[in-house]
Amino acid sequence: MHLKRLLLGVLAATVVLGALYVVYLDHLVTHQFEGRRWTLPAQVYAAPLELYAGLALTQPELERELQRLHYRRADRPEQPGTYRINGERLDVQLRPARFADETRDAALLSIATGAGGLQSLHDSAGREVAVLRLEPLLIGSIFPSHGEDRIVVTPDEVPPLLPAALKAVEDRKFDTHHGVDPVAMLRALWVNVRARQIEQGGSTLTQQLVRSYFLNSRQTLSRKLREAVMAIALDAHFTKADLMNAYINEIFLGQDGSRAIHGFGLASQFYFGKPLAELDLSEIALMVAIVRGPSYYDPRRHPDRVRLRRDLVLKVMADQGIISAPQASAAAQRPLGVTTRPAGAYYPAYLDFVRRTLRRDYRDEDLTKTGLRIFTSLEPRAQDEAERSLERELERLDRVHKHPGAHLEGAVVVTAPQSGDVIAIVGGRDVGYDGFDRALDARRSMGSLVKPFIYLTALESGHYNAATVVQDAPVDVKLVNGTHWRPENFTHQVYGPVPVVRALSESLNLATVGVGLSVGLSKVSQTLQRFGLPQPPAQVPAMLLGAVDLAPIDAAQLFNGLANGGFRSPLRAVRAVISQDGKTVKAFPLQVTQVAAPEVVYQIDRMLVHVMDHGTGRPARAVLPPNLEVAGKSGTSSDYRDSWFAGFSGSHLAVVWVGYDNDEPTGFTGSAGALPVWAHLMANLGTSSWQAPMPEGLAEVQIEYPTGLRVAPGCAEDIVAVAVPAGSELPAKPGCGFPVNQPAANDPVTTIIDSAQKWLHRLTH
Amino acid sequence: MMPAMPRKLPGLLLAPNRMAATVLVSVAVLGGCVMRGGEESRIPPPPPGQAIGAVRPAPPVPVQPPPAPPEPPSTPAPRQFHLGGASRALVTQAHAQASSGDFGQASATIERALRIEPENPLLWIELGRMRLGAGDAEQADSMGHKALSLGTGDPAAQASAWRLIADSLQARGRNSQAADAARHAAGLAPR
Repeated sequence: MHLKRLLLGVLAATVVLGALYVVYLDHLVTHQFEGRRWTLPAQVYAAPLELYAGLALTQPELERELQRLHYRRADRPEQPGTYRINGERLDVQLRPARFADETRDAALLSIATGAGGLQSLHDSAGREVAVLRLEPLLIGSIFPSHGEDRIVVTPDEVPPLLPAALKAVEDRKFDTHHGVDPVAMLRALWVNVRARQIEQGGSTLTQQLVRSYFLNSRQTLSRKLREAVMAIALDAHFTKADLMNAYINEIFLGQDGSRAIHGFGLASQFYFGKPLAELDLSEIALMVAIVRGPSYYDPRRHPDRVRLRRDLVLKVMADQGIISAPQASAAAQRPLGVTTRPAGAYYPAYLDFVRRTLRRDYRDEDLTKTGLRIFTSLEPRAQDEAERSLERELERLDRVHKHPGAHLEGAVVVTAPQSGDVIAIVGGRDVGYDGFDRALDARRSMGSLVKPFIYLTALESGHYNAATVVQDAPVDVKLVNGTHWRPENFTHQVYGPVPVVRALSESLNLATVGVGLSVGLSKVSQTLQRFGLPQPPAQVPAMLLGAVDLAPIDAAQLFNGLANGGFRSPLRAVRAVISQDGKTVKAFPLQVTQVAAPEVVYQIDRMLVHVMDHGTGRPARAVLPPNLEVAGKSGTSSDYRDSWFAGFSGSHLAVVWVGYDNDEPTGFTGSAGALPVWAHLMANLGTSSWQAPMPEGLAEVQIEYPTGLRVAPGCAEDIVAVAVPAGSELPAKPGCGFPVNQPAANDPVTTIIDSAQKWLHRLTH
Repeated sequence: MMPAMPRKLPGLLLAPNRMAATVLVSVAVLGGCVMRGGEESRIPPPPPGQAIGAVRPAPPVPVQPPPAPPEPPSTPAPRQFHLGGASRALVTQAHAQASSGDFGQASATIERALRIEPENPLLWIELGRMRLGAGDAEQADSMGHKALSLGTGDPAAQASAWRLIADSLQARGRNSQAADAARHAAGLAPR
């Protein structure tokens, strides 16, 4: 009797508790799912390519840019994402695109190309188009560490074959069951019992959704029960269409390092590099094949295994009447079509810089969860060239300079000097490695990169110009601690009196230290800070030889001011942050601040041109196009630990650092290590010459390179043209066409005929 | 005194010895180049062809200061900046955005044009105008100076750069400096 009541009591309690549990689960499901928001990592985009008549882009280059965005060549470009080549004309069906400032619908564009670049652009109605952008390349997303990454798609972005295939393969009764499919469950149970392990799922799509969304993947019986209850609850509260869309956005489809690929939207980019809407039958079948086991059926690691399953999916689709048998067998003939590199573009060092920029304004949560779109300045073509130049040259240098057990490392930063846009960052020779980012974090001695800023300070003092003769003589500075600092030249020689242009071109240490000491350490330090050095350098004499630690990105900021005519523009990777609903959340507009007189910077820049022709940058000439005018400076820190080169053309600035991570000597100078990387990069960037107009108030004069004496053209062996303040008193080379100490007023070129006549006179008499 | 002649020979190299001097004279007068012992000794070579669409100013302008003894100031070969087709379209679009009060978008549109023609002072003036419209007179001033520097040799461009600087000074209540800047503008190109 007691036993019976006890049993009844237990039963009643169980029923009540069970009912409460079901109510709880029901509440959980509806509540969480109702306002369902996937954590949406911020998506990061490269700079869109602007197309306009006159753009220096050949047809093959244009085609390469389209292929980078995974456009396909087709006979008739009717689908977005396809193009056709018809002689000199390229017709492309552009995809709908979202930019920082506007959205654009899909559009047909006819581009006439020619030898000189793009000739004209026309829309589908034959109207001329002045300028139009390709869509920006997705270069990554900011997801939480070990977190989910996804691109959410709306039902109209999903090709209809995908849900049909999912149902056919995973859950045939999806449209009619109530969240669970008891027959399928029993069948699975039977199979599993016989095999004594869990082999077959038998889960409906709804159950899979519940498992992914609410539970972890451990398969215990109680968990199965809970999953079933929640699936029934979900099914009762939501439409089938809602659940299918949730499934498509939720399900796990691959792993990329610490990044979990969720949803078909991202998986389509991850495996095929294109939007989900553009997938064809065989690609859709492949994705459905992966659902069953993203690791087991990883198409990059197990192509044969996944191919068999893809073909099975195709067969099932044909058996179910979703596609015809010939369609299935045609699709089965297709290759997998998976891109070699995940997501097609992966630039971890650049993303690192983007993340750091954003962390100043955003919490991690905002970046990893709220679906922001980040538009950056990255130019994929420049980035690829920078990566290639660094990889190739470091391999070559490693072969030349055998160093047991150590591999040379390097970093590259490329900017567009006038805007301060950072267009490429390489953080190491393993460009896909998301680890130590040398471009941002390797703080190394800047070495001779400091010299232009010392001479700039000297020029500002008004006591120096490019022709001023300075003494390259032994230096002995007694330091505060009683020791003596006695720097030497790189060659261990002493050069005596030399003009400033030569001291800078050949990077003479003693001459530079002499100038630096006379203008004052504090003045030099102020110059560096004006140009953007983040921390004030220690004011010790060794600072004048570059005992200032900085990262390649800092060096790029400093030299950007020189390339930008004395204007500082904060280096910028991010142009705008757009919210999920398309509003500009934050813009990073272009900014310029004048930090030095354009006249002074012009004089320095002209001397940096001589570095490339007479000085330490000269080896680059063998690689650069012959008419390309560039300016630059090498840097070598003590004991050859760091090899630097910083230089610019009219449209690009690049800084290259090469060295060992453990700070061991490399055995080569800036000219031998970093310069070849820089030169190959510049040669392949499609860059324009440095050709700033000479500011008013300056005059161009010819001086003898070794002595600095003013000469008439042709009057000496080794002559360079330098810019000096108009009216500068320059000592002239005796008998060389000028009265001694004639002010630099008229350009000596104007007197060419006159002096030539004198010459002829001398020769004939 | 040597006759003041405008510099017209952009590339000019040097002869190694007197034997070559006669050659030099003829070659130099033609504005050609002479190689010396396989080495290039140089004065900046003529700029190579630019990316089309990036509007290039006319030849580099030698602005010659008057020499120490007073002499009539040499007149620089004038050049005139224009907008390329793409920039013109973008500037038109930016003006429309600005007229509806959206200076942020208008600035972004001008920045698109500046990526195509980064050294065109007219675009820097446009960008400065947008900044001024958005209330950032300091950046407008900086952009005016940037345009001034890039516009060397183009009095019309420099005059409108000075007008931008004048307006940005005025906006900050620096009236006497603004008047100076306006005078600079008027001196270059009377309105």
